This record gives sequence, structure tokens and C-alpha cells, in this order.
Amino acid sequence: MIHQQQPLPNLKTLCDSGQLLSRRDLLGRCGIGLGMLGLADVLHDSGELVSAASIDSGFDPLLVRAPHFAPKAKRVIHFFLNGGPSHVDTFDPKPMLTQYAGKPAPLSFTTERKTGEPFPSPFTFRKYGESGIEVSDLFARTAAHVDRMAVIRSMYAQVPNHEPSLMLMNCGDSVQPRPSVGSWVLYGLGTENQNLPGFVAMCPGGYPIKDTENWQAGFLPGALQGTFIDSQHTAIDRLIENIRSPHATSDMQRRQLDLLQSLNASHRSARIDNRLDARIHSFEMAFRMQMEATEAFDVSRETKQTLELYGSGVHAKQTLIARRLVERGVRYVQLWHGAGQPWDNHEQIETNLKKLAGELDQPIAALLSDLAQRGMLDDTLVIWGGEFGRTPTVELGGDGKAKAGRDHNHYGFTVWMAGGGIRGGTIHGATDDFGFKAVENPTSVHDLHATILHLMGFNHERLTYRYAGRDFRLTDVHGRVMHDIIA
Amino acid sequence: MLRKKNICWIVATSWIATATLWLSSPCSVIATQPEKTADRAADSFEQIDFFEKHVRPLLVNRCQKCHGPEKQWATLRLDSREGLLVGGESGPSIVPGRPEESEILRRIRHSDDEIRMPPPDHGEPLGADQIELLSHWIASGATWPTNAAPVVDHSVAQRNHWAFQPLKGVREFPGEGTSPISSAIDTMVFERLSSRSLEGSNRADNRTLFRRASYDLTGLPPTAGEVDSFCRDESPVAYEQLVDRLLASKAYGEQWGRHWLDVARYSDTKGYVYGREEKTFVHASLYRDWVIDSFNSNMPFDRFVLLQLAADQLVEANAPDLAAMGFLTTGRRFLGVTPDIMDDRIDVVARGLMGLTIACARCHDHKYDPIPTDDYYSLYGVFRNCTERLMPFERRAGIAAPTAEFLTELDNRQKLLRETSNVLRKETSDRNRARIADYLDAQRHLEKYPELGFDQILAKTDLLPAVVRLWQAYLSTDQARTDPIFSVWVSMAELSDEELRQTSGRVIQQLQERGTPVHPQILSACAEPFSSARDIADRYAKVFLDIDASWKTVGLDAEKQNLPAPLSLADPDHESLRQVLYGPRSPFFIPDEPIANIESLFDSDSLTAIWKLQNEVDRWLISQPESAPHALILTDRPYPVDSQIFRRGNPANKGRVVPRQFPGLLSSANRLPFENGSGRLELARGIVSPDNPLTARVWVNRVWMHHFGRGLVETPSDFGLRADPPSHPELLDWLASHLIADGWNTKNLHRGIMLSKTYQQASGGFVESDRLVAAINIDPNNRLLWRMNTRRLNFEQYRDTLISLAGQLDTSMGGRAVEMFPLGVTSMRRSIYGMVDRQFIPSVMRMFDFANPDLHIPKRSETTVPQQALFSLNHPFVAARSRAAAARLSAPTAETSSGTRVAELFKIILQRDPTALESTSAIAFLLSSETSAIDLKASAQSLAWSYGTCEVDEASGKSKGFVPLPYHTGTAWQGGGQWPDSVLGWAQITATGGHAGNDLAHAAVRRWTAYTRDTVKLSSEAIHDVDQGDGIRCFIISSRHGILKSATLKNSKQLMEIDSIVVEPGDTIDFVVDYNANLNNDQFLWSPLIKGTQAIAAGSSRDSAVDLWNAQVDFTGPLHIYLSPEEQLAQLLLLSNEVMFID
Repeated sequence: MIHQQQPLPNLKTLCDSGQLLSRRDLLGRCGIGLGMLGLADVLHDSGELVSAASIDSGFDPLLVRAPHFAPKAKRVIHFFLNGGPSHVDTFDPKPMLTQYAGKPAPLSFTTERKTGEPFPSPFTFRKYGESGIEVSDLFARTAAHVDRMAVIRSMYAQVPNHEPSLMLMNCGDSVQPRPSVGSWVLYGLGTENQNLPGFVAMCPGGYPIKDTENWQAGFLPGALQGTFIDSQHTAIDRLIENIRSPHATSDMQRRQLDLLQSLNASHRSARIDNRLDARIHSFEMAFRMQMEATEAFDVSRETKQTLELYGSGVHAKQTLIARRLVERGVRYVQLWHGAGQPWDNHEQIETNLKKLAGELDQPIAALLSDLAQRGMLDDTLVIWGGEFGRTPTVELGGDGKAKAGRDHNHYGFTVWMAGGGIRGGTIHGATDDFGFKAVENPTSVHDLHATILHLMGFNHERLTYRYAGRDFRLTDVHGRVMHDIIA
Repeated sequence: MLRKKNICWIVATSWIATATLWLSSPCSVIATQPEKTADRAADSFEQIDFFEKHVRPLLVNRCQKCHGPEKQWATLRLDSREGLLVGGESGPSIVPGRPEESEILRRIRHSDDEIRMPPPDHGEPLGADQIELLSHWIASGATWPTNAAPVVDHSVAQRNHWAFQPLKGVREFPGEGTSPISSAIDTMVFERLSSRSLEGSNRADNRTLFRRASYDLTGLPPTAGEVDSFCRDESPVAYEQLVDRLLASKAYGEQWGRHWLDVARYSDTKGYVYGREEKTFVHASLYRDWVIDSFNSNMPFDRFVLLQLAADQLVEANAPDLAAMGFLTTGRRFLGVTPDIMDDRIDVVARGLMGLTIACARCHDHKYDPIPTDDYYSLYGVFRNCTERLMPFERRAGIAAPTAEFLTELDNRQKLLRETSNVLRKETSDRNRARIADYLDAQRHLEKYPELGFDQILAKTDLLPAVVRLWQAYLSTDQARTDPIFSVWVSMAELSDEELRQTSGRVIQQLQERGTPVHPQILSACAEPFSSARDIADRYAKVFLDIDASWKTVGLDAEKQNLPAPLSLADPDHESLRQVLYGPRSPFFIPDEPIANIESLFDSDSLTAIWKLQNEVDRWLISQPESAPHALILTDRPYPVDSQIFRRGNPANKGRVVPRQFPGLLSSANRLPFENGSGRLELARGIVSPDNPLTARVWVNRVWMHHFGRGLVETPSDFGLRADPPSHPELLDWLASHLIADGWNTKNLHRGIMLSKTYQQASGGFVESDRLVAAINIDPNNRLLWRMNTRRLNFEQYRDTLISLAGQLDTSMGGRAVEMFPLGVTSMRRSIYGMVDRQFIPSVMRMFDFANPDLHIPKRSETTVPQQALFSLNHPFVAARSRAAAARLSAPTAETSSGTRVAELFKIILQRDPTALESTSAIAFLLSSETSAIDLKASAQSLAWSYGTCEVDEASGKSKGFVPLPYHTGTAWQGGGQWPDSVLGWAQITATGGHAGNDLAHAAVRRWTAYTRDTVKLSSEAIHDVDQGDGIRCFIISSRHGILKSATLKNSKQLMEIDSIVVEPGDTIDFVVDYNANLNNDQFLWSPLIKGTQAIAAGSSRDSAVDLWNAQVDFTGPLHIYLSPEEQLAQLLLLSNEVMFID
């Protein structure tokens, strides 16, 4: 008797039968709210005019929505090498640096710190795959997949400072608070598994520089922000907030929810408001989420073979979790290297890069193999990069002496993408002979974002959100899709 | 014709080969219908878009410098379609539809350097893709929009758009109501309803009305007792009295203050800052308290606005109202990038106060509203001419005065900051002056000196990019062209070395002939022809360095003769040169402003040094914000200058100068620039002028929105052309006019709204379903208000409600922000006093749509996601409130039945009795629920232990201030996930030992609590096993008997044993460790055993065999202590929609 649902009111029956269709109902059915004007086309098709109202319908911003056109990628895993990985030591070989070692560089640019002579990479580059793209030994295992990758060697950003560059790379604007790429994607597509967060940012050991701003929702609803997970932990309740009750068993909660829902149903019967239903629904989803999230984060359920493929250590674990998450419908996973900015290698490039790349190379290679083997690589976009690159010249200390490291360089750097719609074995653009500056097909961060959105099925100029009197988009007024790297 | 077609085909083919942007349709346009596209009537959006995106930028960047408004080489202008059509000396530049006949393409493509445009000395030839873009544009008809923005005409918009029109006159509504406002609302709302064949709903029941009124005005639920007595009160004025009582409550200011803080994008912190800077604002909480007080004292809204914009010019220098200026100064700091800080201020003022999206005009004229980019930079000029100041003001009554020690220390820190800052300012200026030749020479290599926002680490030997840029600005003003000192420089600025050698003499002659005087010293320095650009810089520098030398001599002479320091040089010619080096407008002048405003004028080391001292001052003030209150105000700079517009928002691309003045759309035709200082006070007065129709409309609409769930205008901060018109235009105007006539009395407005029948309607609409269906068919969204809207609690209201229903609300007001969900002890204060750290908004707040403090938030999102439910189900905060709510039940007696318990709990949480069905269900729930409140996995012994920090009070022999350590790592209890923890430091307890805390107030303590009367024996060995540091102190302290044993250990061990001690139930025995003298290697091993010798089962059902407690074996993580059935019932009631939603 307790569990019996109260009969729903006439009004709702009318609405549900289609005889009565309030705007709110309509929007609820489309799974979007009044503020989501960028996706208003659907509504216009139905003849419904959308006014400049803000979100007020108690909608769930995470429900699945269709993009503008058929997407090539349905989900994203982004390896973020925070600090600014050196392109000339990884994916952009520059033999000229050896020629000029110990001689003054024929060109140089202003960066944050002072730098000296060209500094040849201490790592060996080799050709890989049929494409013969050169990659340094640091990423030898990853390089085995080079024919699945498009290596963009002509990225550029705006300033040589971490904070603005992180914001540009993650949110499309150096300074103003704007939604992150993951939030935009979630806003556009929703997420396929309502029992897991749709956008996850994992970072072992704590926050990167700029903290939660990197996965902020900006003016989009708060539910679209990335969920931060400190992946150094193992216990599920350390990984996801409030995922377990310290004060009730699952059985107790079930009984509580049953009574709660019957009270809510009778409360609902005399009222006109779909938000009431939405909230009733959300408790059931939360209850299921407790089970599903626990399962999703538990890598011990993987086979021995898979565990060995990824290797050991926190990066192996978080990469494997990422695969488990996207497999379960999570839309966007960002994998940071660690708290602060591990890839900010002003000194001792040789030892530092060996250590850092050593932590990533096997998990990345494993992920690409694993996704391919499961038939998921075709529609999973894998991105590798940082907020900028590094100078090909050696950094000088305050005493003017070389530090065997490199300063920040936003004039030219490398990002690569693989899987989901990427034409493998492609090189896009080039830096100059020294690796200072993008000179061929210079590619802005907005271009990268436009391309990511394109792969996800969006015209980046039409994925907009009305805020403060104008329609905002991830690429602001910029962005060109790199068609040459799309399969 | 054939030939033409052929060429077209070639063009199209090459285009296919190179262009990657547009593939299908433009191609067919080129190939098949070149002639037809000459018709411009059909300029499509795509064509305009194409022009704006690809063609206009090309013309601007590569052509118009020589063929534009400033220069017209070969009498050609390429900045309008007409200019291209008319052409220049070589004839028309374009033939629309016929790229092959267009001169511009011929010149661009030409292989001969002599003919090709742009000429070789103006950069690279255009790329193939650019040429094709241009060709495509010509081929498709050379679309050139007559107006860049898609709006028809700004002046039309200004004349016609409802929001920009003066307020309509006030219609009289005598009505029988107690307030003319209520009569006006009801008349206008019900008139509109009946015009649509609708009618209003019945009055809501008393309980609903009470709850609605209480939440609207205080953000808090009423108590059951209050509701009952209100429901029993049959007096006709009972409701009116209720409204008045709620308006008079202090909680009113907290509720409406929070609404305002959303508008003001309030935060207690600055957002991300570099490590050198303190991240917490000194003044934010004082601004928050000022806002709350202002609402409670019903400050007239116009005054409220004026003070927030210009209190510095309206009140005494130490008045508490200075705190109001936090409205402008609690925005994000954007890492000190000035244009973004200015933008944030412009936006909060324009949208927050007037519903104008002026910030849209930062990069271009507003696309819809009559807001040219000039208006944006007029306001930019206002704020750019203000500097920040931290001003002390009088503390509130009742707040204790700061101690003399506090003031002395403050004084010391401020003095050190001031002195160091002055020394470094002088040193830096002197260093810059000595390098004037380099700064002048740098003007020829500006590309080496990045704009603000590009942070370089600068040594003292580097030129400062900001100073180079100041020189650039100084030399590019209109005055510089005719300035006697710099006219020569400006005239020579763009000449090559070769040209200099040939023409320098002539240039000076021309200047003199033109009547532009040349300063005598400069003239003599320029007597010989220049050999190079550097030569000019050096000769100028010599003139200045000579003047500097004589100025220093004059100073020294005065000093020797004990005369006051001179203020100027006697010779006016010399003095004018000295002004360039030392004057307040000199690019070398570093104003005496807070470091935040002048950061870019220092090298990195000096900057860090000043910030460090500034932080010392800030942190000292933050430690006692109320006893030594400070406001961060703006104050006008002494020499205001108008700003240049930044083309496309880019500070490196400066355009014309615009005066500081009020936005044009709200000004008369003869608008005058502001006259006083920055113009900020004039701006403020313009905003609250009764002639400004926006401010009152916007405020009335905000108030309305919070009473009805949505505004009369649905976009409360955008009253522009893209906003929907108001649902009740006449009512909006009436309320706005009345507000002004009523002295901007906000409380009267609330009262009038709430006494209206419109407001008091039931939210469920009509009982009869046919009437309901009819109403929904006519007005499904209830825009016409035939019923009240249901509203959902926002995050703060929800949290405050949980605390309030648990009977735990701490109603104290004001002061420093508190952590809202800390580990350990939770503050029970209202959420408005919770810390808003814009860099770390707790995810629970984000999930509940808390206003993002980085942005002005006119209306919160309202989303429903499972994470909200997870919080409600699982967060310890909610569980603790459920326990507390259940603990409010009266003690059971013989007559108590489950039914009475259920009824009482419904009263406590829902302020009503349960229905019969609810009661039955809830009773069944209580009876069927698990009664075991304790996780059976935990041993009984584990329950006796707890782990925390305390302080050993050696005088009393007690341990005091026990606080449980909140975080368990799996093997250790400590302050948080990071160790050491930012608050609780190194304090830690493990199964076998632990670590002392960072100070004596945070000693690590393992506590045992007796549950029966007993005599126990304690045995243990405490060990400190490192040689570093100075060791630890160990104590065994009984709550009944005081310190039982103590020892100081350093790389040593000590048996700590007590043979026999009597304990009563609830007594504690603490095993405490703190550091000896310093915090250094204070880890320890100490894991006691407690043996009961004569356990007496005093009413306990426990197994009497439980008489041994082994700290190591019993050590556990958090015990799963489950909610009792009644607590579970309390929790689910707290989670119900009935609590979350207001009818």
C-alpha cells in the first residue's frame, strides 16, 4: 500500500496525451530547457518560439540530445599534459637545433623568461608506421599508433603564461570566465549514462594550476561542469562525492525512497509543475548511480591481460578508468598528469621528460589498442597536448647560465588527436626550422576547438548559448575546422 | 563570351584546389551565374557573413592603410563599396560579378613588384587563398552591407524600443486596498486576465500564504507554532501584520541582500592570483554586511545605488557607507589585466543597474541595441581614471575596539609597505629616466614589447614593456604633434635612416614655417642632420639627461643651504623638459597607488617585494575585519584622460579618443562630457536620475521576479531589443514611476505586492478541471498571472531550511565568512555568511546552481540532477540535520504511540498534520525499519575510542577544546586528504601512534570514553624514535582526575602505566601528545591498553566479557552509525518536494 503511486491529475494526463502541450512540457520532452537557445532549431521546427528566458523549467541538462549533423566522435578522452610539454622533444623533430647547438640562434622570440642558444633534443626521433611520422623515443609505444593519429604541429596560443593559456585551451578565452570544452560538449549532446557524471576531470594528487576553472561551466548550468576526481585514491567514496551513505544501508535507503516517493506523488497531484516530477525522478537516478558508479571505477574487474596492457601506477589506473567510463556512456574525460604542472620543465629536460613520458607512454598506447580492439576507437576522440609548447632554445637562469631546460613557448607547439573521425597518419602544419613558431597552416586553439566540435557533430558557429544579451560560443568569433585531418 | 567563361572555369578550378572553407554552393555561383549576382538586392546572410569574415578584414589589414580614411594613394579608397566601384587613377577597382575584369585582382596577382599590390615594402604578397576569397566575393556580387550590424537603425531603436522610452504617467488607483500599489497591481493584472477571458485564482490557504510570505521575505521556513497561531487569527489585518512583521525582521536583509549579491557577483576572494598575492579580499564581508544592513534599514534604492558607485564623494572619509563600494571592487581580478577588470565593472553597472548589455560593445557596436562602441569606452574612461584605495572606517556599534597591539602592528606593517614602496618607486623611476634613450629607441621596435597580459619575468636591467607602451601613448597624442619638445620626434618617427639623413634639416624648417614652435634646447640638439633613428633618441636623451643633472644639482644646493627642496626649475624652458621626466603625466611617473594598480611599472623582484608587504597588511586586517574595518573604494585619479577605443576589443589596436560621458541612448541630443574628476559621480547620478527610465524599471522587475518566480520582463538584466517585452507594460511603468515618487522605497514595494490579491492567489489554479484546462490552453505559461507560480528553494534557502527545521539555526549576523561544509564542526549560520571562494566553489553549491560569482547573475539556473539527490541522501550534513530534527521530538511517555511521533515530526518539518494515508504509511515505515543503529561490523571496543586534537591546560590539569580529526585515510585520522592539512596541520593518530599538531592548541589526542562504571588499569609505552628535533611531550589526562602522567621524550621511550583508576560512564581518558618546544620530527608510537578490573553492567546489555580495550586492535575508520527509523523518517521528510517547493 505504501508503495502504491497516487493517481496523477487530470491535467498531467491531458498534457501527456498530447491534447495539452505547454511550452514547458514541450521543452521537457525535447530534454532541454528555456535557456538552451543554441539548440533552438528543434523547437523552431515544431513551431515553438523561444524567448530570451533563462533556464527555469527544472530540466535535466544531461539528457541526450542530437547534434547538428551525424557525429564522427561520440566521446572524448583528453590527455592534458599540464605545464606545456616540449614539442621539439616529442612529436616535432628539429635537426636544425643540432646544427646550431652552441651558436646564437638566428631568430628568437620574447617568452616569459630569457633563453639562450638552440638546445638540441637529447632524445632520438624515429619514423613509425606507414606514414613514417617521426616521434621521439619518449613516446615509442604511443608512436606504434601513429597511423591512427593526426599530429598538429602548428598550434599557437596567445601568451607564454600558464594561466591564460590553460584557460584558452580549456575554455576558449584567456581571461574571461567561459564554459570549458567539456561543458560545451555536454551542453550540446547531454550524456548517455544518467547514472554517471557526464564530464569527468581526473588528476592524481590534487588540482592543476587554475584549479576547477579548467573544467568550469561558466554561464552554463552548474550541472555541466566537470566532476573532479583525485585519481590517486582507490576507495569509491574518495573518488566521487556523496556516492555512498555513511549512515544508511542500501535497503534502508530503498525503504526511505519508497515512502518519500509516495509522499511526493500525493503532493504532486494537486500541483502544476513539471519540476516536481523531475525531482522525483532524480532521486531514483541517484539511487541507481550509487551502484553503477562504484562498478565503473572498479578497475579490479578488468582481466589480468587488460591490467597488464595498461601497466601499473596511477596513470595506468586513471586511463583504464577513463576507458571504463566512456564505455558506459560518459561523454568527456580529461586526464591530467598531476597536481600543479608536471610538464613545466624549465630545467633538466632529459631526466624530467624521461620520467613523465615514462608514466604516460604505456597507458596511452594501451588505451589506443584497447579502444581499437573493442571497436570504440572509431567514435572515441583521443586528444593529447598541453596548454603550449616549449622554446627550442635553452632557458637561462638568473645568473645567465643555461639550465638544460626550456621556457614556455606559445608561438608554436604540437597537439595530436586520434580515433573518432581523425584521418590517421596525417601531419597538419609545421613550425619553422627551429620549432619556434607555427609557420605552415598556423592553427589557433579556436581552430582546434572548432574541429573537435565538428567531429562531435556541431557547426561550432551554431552551438551557442544566450547570456548577457548575446549568443556566446566556444570559439567566440574565430575558429576554422581542419578538414584535412578528418577522415 | 566564350573567353570569359573559360576564365571563369579556370578561376573556379584553382579555387577548388586551394580553398577549403566552402565547397558546394559558392562554386556553382562562380561557374554559372557571374552576371546575375551583381544584383545586390538579395544579399543573403551568408554573403554578408562571408564579407565580414573574410573580405573586410583583408581590406582593413592589407589595403586601407594607404587607401582608406587617412591616406588615399592614387586617389583610391578601399573602405566602402562605392570607393571600390569609383576606383582611383587606374579606374574602377572592381566590376561586381566579374573578378577577371577587376583591377584589384589584377594588381594583387601581378608578378611585377612595381605593379603588384600591396607593394613589396608593405609586406608579403597576398596568399593564393586570400586572392581566391576576394575573387569569390567579387564574383558573387561584391556584397557590402550598408550597416555592419544587423540592426536597422540605432536612432529608430532609440525612439521606439519600449525600455528606452520615458516612464508613462501614473494612473490613479484609488481602490479599497491598504496600499495604492496593491490596487494598481490588481486592477492591471485582472484587467488583462479578463481581456483574455481569464480570471484569477482563489486566495491561497493561510498556511501556504504564511510559508510563501516567510520565504519571500526571510528565506526561512516558519515554525509550526507561528503557522498555527496565524491560521487561528481571524483578524482581517492578520496577514498585513504578518507581512509587516516579516519586513521588520533582520532575516529580511539577509534574504534580499543575497539576491543583490548575485547581481553584484559577490565573492570573498579574488579568484586565481599568482602566489605573491593574498587571495582573500580584505573588504568583501564588510560589503556583504553593508548590503544586508541597507536592506534592513530600507535605504532608498537610489541612495543604495549612488553609494555603491561613488560613496567616496558622498560621505565622510571614515563613514561605514564606504563599504558600499565593494560593489565595484569585489569582482574577479583577472590576474591584474586592466581591460578585463574595467569590463567587469562596466558590465556589473550596466546590466546590474540598468539592464543594458553595454559590455557587448567592447569589440564592436552593439548588434541590436543603440549602444555604439564609443559608449563602452566612455564608461571605460570613467573607470580607468579611478584608482583603488583601502580606507579604514568606523566600526559598528557593539564591536570591540582593536587592541593597542593590533593597531601598533598594523601601523608597523603599513609603514613598512609605504616606505618600501616609495623607495622602489623612486629607484625604478630613476632607473627608467637614466635609460630615456633606450625607451625612445624602443618606440621603433614596439613588437618586442608585449601588451599587458603577457607576463614576462623582468630583471632590473630590462626595459619595462609597460613603460615603453606609456611612451608610445605619450608620443601618439594629438598634442605631441605640435608639442615644442616632441614635434620633431613625431615628424621623424616613421622615416628610414636614409630619409633621415636627407630630410631632417628640412623637417625642422617646415615645422617652424608651419608655426609649430620647437623647443630651443631641442632645436640646438637637432642642428646637425641626424644619422640614424638611434641618433635622434640619443640627442633627445642628452637634452633630458642634462636637465636631469641640473635638477639634481639644484636639489643638492638647496639641501646644502638647508633650504626647502625646490619644486621646479626657474627657467620655463628647462622646467618644461623637467616635466617630461618628473611631471605627473610623465611616462616615468609611478603614481602612489596600491600595487594592484601599478604592477606593470616594476621589475619582477620589486613587484614581489611590494606584494609581500601588501600581503602582510592584508592578512593582518583579514584577521579582524570587524574591529578594524576597511573598505576598498575607488577614488578619482588627479589627471583624468579620455580613453581611446580598442578596435575589436584589442588593447593593442587603439582607435579614436572618446569623451567620458553618459550612454547616448539615455541622453539628450546635446549630451555633454562629464566634468568632475573621472565622472563617476555624474555617471551614478545619471543612473538614478528620475529621467532615466531604466533603473527604476529594472529594480522593480527584480523585486517582482523574486516574489513571483519570474519577472514582468523575463530577462532581468537585459532590457534591450532582443528581450521579450514585459508581460504587463503598463504595470511595470506604474510600479517604476511609483517607486520614484515614493522615494525609492523598496519595503513599500514589497508590501504593496504582497498585499495584492494577485500575489495571494493559490498556485494550483482552479479546482474545477475544465476551468483549469481552459486557463492552461489560453496561457500555459501563466504569463498573465491567473495563479501564483510554484517556486523552488535555491541552494542557500535549502541549506538554511535544513538547519532551521533541525532547530539549529545560528541567527547571529555579520562578520567574517565561515566555511559552509567543513570537515569537522559545521557552522549553523545562515548561508549568506558562508565563504564564497570563487576559485573553489564547493561542487555541491555548483550542483545546486549557486550564482557563479565570476559573472553578474540576474537569475539563477534551476536544474535537477541526481548529484543533488546524492547530496541529500548521503552527505553527513543532511544526516546530522535529520538526527537533530528527530531529536526535537518530545520525550516519549506511556501514552506515546507511533502515530503521535509521526504527527509531531510532520509538524516540526512540514508545519502541518499528516493526512490519514500519510500517517499510516509513516507508521508502517517506522515499524518495518531496521532498528539497529550501529554497524555490526564495528567491534564494541572500537566505539570507546575517538581521535582528535586538544590543548593541554597545565594549570587546570585538563585537556580542553577536543575536536575530532575529521578525515580517515584508511590507516590514519588527520585533518584532511592532504597531510599536513591546511588547518589542522600535522596532527595525526594511527593505530600505533601518530604525530603532534602544529601548535600546542592542536595536540594529537587518542580519547577513550568509559561506558560503565569501572576501575581500569592502563598500560602503555610511549616512544619517540628520531634524533632530529627537540622531542615530544606525552600526557595521560582523565576528565575526572586531571593529568595522571606526563613525560618528555626525545629519541627515547617511557612506560606510561596507571595501576588503577575509577571511571564513571562518560568519563574520558586522553592520551595526548604535543611538541616539546618546536615543531620538528614530532611523530611518535603510543598505543595503550586499558583493562577493566570490575566491570559492572550498569544497565548495559553489553557482554561483560568486554573488558579489554587495545588501541591498536580497536583502531577503526569512521563507524557506520546508521540513522534510527525516526531519523530516517525525518530525513525523508526533509527531502520531500513539499519542503523544496513553495506554493
